[in-house]
Amino acid sequence: MAARSEAAYPVTWKSGRVARWLVTVDHKRIGILYIATALVFFFAGGILALLMRAQLATPDESIITKNRYDEVMTMHGTTMVFLVVVPILAGFGNYLVPLMIGARDMAFPRLNALSYWLFLLGGIVLYLSWFSASGPARAGWTSYPTLSELQFSPGHGQDYWILSLHILTLSSLASAINFLVTIHNMRTRGMTWMRMPLFVWTIEVYSVLLLAALPALSAGLTMLLLDRRGYTHFFIPSEGGNAVLYQHVFWFFGHPEVYIMVLPAMGMVSEILPVFARKPIFGYTAIVLSTIFIGFYSMLVWAHHMFTVGLPTGLDGFFMVSSMIIAVPTGIKIFNWVATTWRGNLQFDTPMLFALGFIALFTMGGLSGIFLAAFPIDWQVHDTYYVVAHFHYVLFGGSLFAIFGGVYYWWPKIFGRLLDERLGKLHFWLTFVGFNLTFLPQHMLGLLGMPRRVWTYHHGGLWETYNLISTIGSGIMGLGMLIFLVNIWRTQIARRGIRAGNDPWLADTLEWYTTSPPPPQNFDSVPYVTSARPLRDLRRRLAEQT
Amino acid sequence: MRRRLFVLGLLGFVVLATASVAAAANGGFTPQNAHSPNAQRINQAYYVVLAFTAGIFLIVETLLVMFIWRYRSRGRPRTVDGGQVHGNNRLEIIWTLIPVGIISVIFGFVFYKLPGISGPPTARAANPLEVKLDAHQFYWQFTYPNGAVSIDELHLPVGRVVKIDINSEDVNHSWWIPQLGGKTDAIPGRTNHIWYQPDKIGTYYGQCAEFCGLFHERMLARAIVTSEADYESFVRTRAAKELGKAEWAGVCAKCHGPQGEGDYGPAIAANPTLVQPSGLENIVRNGRGLMPAVGSNWTQQQFRALETYIKASVYKGASTSGG
Repeated sequence: MAARSEAAYPVTWKSGRVARWLVTVDHKRIGILYIATALVFFFAGGILALLMRAQLATPDESIITKNRYDEVMTMHGTTMVFLVVVPILAGFGNYLVPLMIGARDMAFPRLNALSYWLFLLGGIVLYLSWFSASGPARAGWTSYPTLSELQFSPGHGQDYWILSLHILTLSSLASAINFLVTIHNMRTRGMTWMRMPLFVWTIEVYSVLLLAALPALSAGLTMLLLDRRGYTHFFIPSEGGNAVLYQHVFWFFGHPEVYIMVLPAMGMVSEILPVFARKPIFGYTAIVLSTIFIGFYSMLVWAHHMFTVGLPTGLDGFFMVSSMIIAVPTGIKIFNWVATTWRGNLQFDTPMLFALGFIALFTMGGLSGIFLAAFPIDWQVHDTYYVVAHFHYVLFGGSLFAIFGGVYYWWPKIFGRLLDERLGKLHFWLTFVGFNLTFLPQHMLGLLGMPRRVWTYHHGGLWETYNLISTIGSGIMGLGMLIFLVNIWRTQIARRGIRAGNDPWLADTLEWYTTSPPPPQNFDSVPYVTSARPLRDLRRRLAEQT
Repeated sequence: MRRRLFVLGLLGFVVLATASVAAAANGGFTPQNAHSPNAQRINQAYYVVLAFTAGIFLIVETLLVMFIWRYRSRGRPRTVDGGQVHGNNRLEIIWTLIPVGIISVIFGFVFYKLPGISGPPTARAANPLEVKLDAHQFYWQFTYPNGAVSIDELHLPVGRVVKIDINSEDVNHSWWIPQLGGKTDAIPGRTNHIWYQPDKIGTYYGQCAEFCGLFHERMLARAIVTSEADYESFVRTRAAKELGKAEWAGVCAKCHGPQGEGDYGPAIAANPTLVQPSGLENIVRNGRGLMPAVGSNWTQQQFRALETYIKASVYKGASTSGG
């Protein structure tokens, strides 16, 4: 496949089986590397999650020690946010953006390769910190001082955590710049802004948010590192510093980060739904505007993570209003997606199942967010399992369901073979049922008073029942993920997957115009784009001619 | 078809079974019964938000399921187009404006209730009880107006307004008794406030809600609401008598085991330092190695109480002349 199309190029050491992946500057190979690496980290982070659920299955359990639990909890969060969701979206962006806009590659192919290798390096640094003398960081993925200061977190785990995040920040900044330059300058003839695929729109906003938010994270991490190793005291109150300052800086990055992780996933759903409903997306313009609106407002809501630190009422009120306002464009998207299924010819292939699952679960996650935005209610549910349930409905039920939909949808384009539908459906149902069993009871646990980040609990009764259900659910999800691995093995390694043509789904966007997998130069020619659905236009023209 | 019905039936059964079990025990489907006006008002706000969100949830999920059922392909091939509907401006404006209205209502209701949540009504606030709370790794210390101290147990008289000043001596913690009120973070270098007016005698449970390190899950708390007379007798006499035992259980035993036999921390029951007042005070005040400075702000009265209790009930070593 890929090897054959490269035969036209001179054979050097760079064409070796492994070397061609190491030296590649091709956006498609870099995209695959991103996605594959992020999936490896996804399984690592998933195993950590299963360990936590095993520990919490029954009260006063000690399957893993307190120390180990805090490490596992910190590494799970950091892994899923920084090494899975953000980079896997960057991977899809890398693979798809040039193809969707009819370009030959990203604007800066070498910078693109640098982004990937920095991402891998950051991940390796984080995971090698398991072997540092005192273990990895254990102050939670948010690493609030003063707990994360040297006095309370001695050893080098926290320093490796900071180093890793610094490296990942550089990686994401470089790729954000690359996406922006590519989208702004390399769209094919006829592809105006309002004819651009919705996934590309979300990558545009994703990149702007990364550029705006990541420097704040870098600044906060640098101050923390200086506090720990450089005798400063930015966040040490006993020396005149302010521990709350870190929270402001962290969440100024941290909340846009939430939308960084969810907007491109929404973009994927907006690509998948119309294709499997055999309809155009309902309200293209409204979806574009709501994406921009969400991106803008995501910069103005950070302190809703800090309602319990004792902010003045005026600030609490401001952040309550700004957070609730985000519900409006989010609602617009959800209503538009539901309306997209109206009067459709719905094809329930696996990508569609995951996209519909996304709508069902993300709605739940969005609505529980309204409770959290109303700050007096947040005073009750903040930092409990209610919050854990909320953000897993958004990030797992939301982002990851969309991403799995994307994996099934674009797999035939990327590798030329369709993933198995029966295994895919099994994967979906196990994940969907397991997900709800795991996270629905956590809302109740939160209302019953169970805080997050606890190693164990001492209550029987309902606490035990809900925790046990949750653990069983996580096992079912784990099984679903194994089925996913079997599917990949069966399709790609055992080579039993059905070969896909250029366009197995009869889709709308330009990536389906070229071969599966695409040649190194992507396209021999690109049709002039006259609407947001160039491939449908092409099919209709062909039908009229014959 | 039959299989789908079976699955739906099974799901329905599971949902009903869980719901009935949980509802029977008020099991986390609603906030806990509130026993202070601020917690009650938060619950009212919760139900207002719940009414709207549950409505939206039902509408969205019902429409989704209906459309999935109604517009399934029924064997139509992929080449058959669905209705080519590109949008509908009037509909889209409606579903933009309705959420704006709902948000305004929620916002209005929350701010209408807020004065009774963030502070007590002025009429009742005369002569409040003022308690100081210092959070430490890994215990709560309460100081009452007359200087009495209790550990992990907050004693309150029923019906009286109490104001609590919350502080931390080391890392961030979060004070939370769900049935009395919301969380308030304890942050070093900063004093936060919460108030209660407990309306019923009883014991209310809570625990630290902000991750504070290794023994976060052991930072349990109780608010013991008693009659005014019982409260007075506690702060006048009982508090001083129970202090040493409470300090041992709340401050030392969480790490060193109930009898000092060692747990995460080393076994100390036979360590002679336990009965050397200056040595004990030094370790408790300043910490050592992995042990945090648990008693950084303790009074002499607190150290004496701990020494007395340890000597009488914990120490298993040879008696020393100084002891």
